[in-house]
Parts: sequence; structure tokens; C-alpha cells
Amino acid sequence: MTGHEPPSKPQGDDGPNPPDTGMGMTAVTYLLAGMLVWGGIGWLVDHWVGTKGIFAGIGAVIGIGGGVYLIVRRLGA
Amino acid sequence: MIGQSTVLAAEFPPSVEDFYLPSILPWGAEDNYWFTKITLLVWITTAILIIFFLVANRKPQLVPTKRQWIAESVYGFVRNNIAVEMIGPRGTAFAPYLTTLFCFILLNNFWGIVPLVQISPNSHIAFPALLAVISYVLFIAVGIRHHGFVKYFKTALIPPAPWFILPLLIPIEFFSNFMVRPFSLAVRLFANMFAGHMLLLVFTLGGFAMISANIWFIPFSLVSWIMTIALTFLEFLVICLQAYVFTVLTASYVQGSLADEH
Repeated sequence: MTGHEPPSKPQGDDGPNPPDTGMGMTAVTYLLAGMLVWGGIGWLVDHWVGTKGIFAGIGAVIGIGGGVYLIVRRLGA
Repeated sequence: MIGQSTVLAAEFPPSVEDFYLPSILPWGAEDNYWFTKITLLVWITTAILIIFFLVANRKPQLVPTKRQWIAESVYGFVRNNIAVEMIGPRGTAFAPYLTTLFCFILLNNFWGIVPLVQISPNSHIAFPALLAVISYVLFIAVGIRHHGFVKYFKTALIPPAPWFILPLLIPIEFFSNFMVRPFSLAVRLFANMFAGHMLLLVFTLGGFAMISANIWFIPFSLVSWIMTIALTFLEFLVICLQAYVFTVLTASYVQGSLADEH
């Protein structure tokens, strides 16, 4: 009859953070989201200005930068 | 045998059409998808789960019977290894929902490899999508109840960063927290079940296609069918894993909503 009581070892606030299975997903999501959001905004700017993709490229790079920054702030340390 | 195999092999490259099974009620009606095998399977899943858990816990005993033991093990597994592990002590409150989710997805997925049934309702995106919507509403509602409306969205959208970089980060946070999450939940489950069914179809029908093309291809057909059996075991792994992953990610999102800023 083991395993039917909640584990008694301290967790949450006292213990270490719960192991994050979703951490890897979150990191990948941030990278992709950064690229897509700012790349998309850059693409719209391209359409508006009439250039052929330069702003989309710049946006994607900036977005990845933002994504990496977010990963470091939210998941690092 | 040749006649039968040509009939089966007639639709060899399997297509999306193979996921739209003929109507049951009215029997065999064209373009009528209100009551098909898929619908039937979902109802059977629901019935099995309700009846099983009701019967198992009707007269709970201190020394559990076999049925009660199975039910308690499943619940104990989800509560201890998913809910409490991911969310912390408050996770017990979410254990019933997570257990229901886990069992429902697991059983629905499992139809994908039951002989003679062999299609999972979750290979239609409607079911994973609805489950994802439920989890989405749940983790936002939990966050709003825990922090209050403004503070929840503040913690969810505004990362700890200097002010001048915030305009760059907030759209990314919004996109990844409130748009990608439900989408990826639904698509991950759907795509796995869809691909699994497709894979089994390719190897099974491929065997028939080879036989009907040339009778000397029988050895290749046999290899193809043995592959089908092997892939069925692989599917079993995927089925359990995807049910687990959906539940764990839901728990992790709930944990994110409950977490305080750091």
C-alpha cells in the first residue's frame, strides 16, 4: 500500500523547485515565439515600406535575441 | 485472396479520407459524420471510465480489492508523480482533473492499437483541441483566482527586465504563453496519433499492394506486416507517453500560473 499517500517530504516553498519537465518546451517555445513574432512584425513593415524582406530578417534576429534573453531571465538561475 | 487483396490495395497510398469513417447512424450514409466509429469510441471510453471508477470505489475497503487497487494506483500515480511533483503541495487539488485527463487521453489513444478497432479518436484534431481548450481555460482561471486579474497578467507578461527592453519582450511572452501553449498541446497529441495511424496503414496496405502487384513479392509483404506488428508496440509507447506528456504539461502550466514572481 505504498504510494497512496502524498509524499511527506517537503516540497514547493521549502524544498527545491519542482523538477521542470516543461522547461525544455518552454525554452524552445521562447526561441520560436521570438523569431515568429518579431519576424512577423518585420514582414508587415516590409509590406508597408515596400522592401523585400530586410525588416523580416532584422526582426527575426532581434526576436531570437529577445527569446534568448527571456530564457536566461525566466529559466536561468 | 487475390480478389480481397486487390480490394484492400485499391486505396494504397492512404490518405486523410481514411480517417473519415462511414456513418453508423444512419447506416452507411454518405458525407454524414454525426455518428461514426469515432463518436462511438469516445462514448465507449467515457462509459468505461465512469463505470470502472464508480464500481471500483462503490464499497471502498481498507484492504482493497483488485479493482479498487487498480483505480487507486492510477489516481495515486497521477497525484504523486504528476500533480504533487509538478505543482507542489497544492497539486492535490488538481489531481482529480489531471487523473481524468490522463485516463481519458490514455484510453482514447489506446483504441489506436486495439486489434480490429485500430483508430484513435485523438487522431481527429477536434478532440485534442477541446482538451487543450479546457486546460487553457483552467490555467488562466487558476492564475486569475490566485493573483487577481491584473497581477496575473502582469506576472505572466512582464518579465523581470529593464524597462527599455520590455516592448521587445512582452509580445514574445504573450505569443508563447497564450497562443503557442494551447496550440502545441493540441497539435502534439493529434499529430502523434494521426502519424501513428498513418504509419500502420502504410505498412498494412503496402503489404497488400505488393502482393497484388506481383505474387512473388510475398516475402516483402510478410516483412511489411511484421513491421506493422513491431510498430504497434512502438505505438503503445507513444500512446502512454503522449497521455503522460499532455497531463504533465497541463500541470506545469498550472504551476506557472500559481508561481510567484521571482
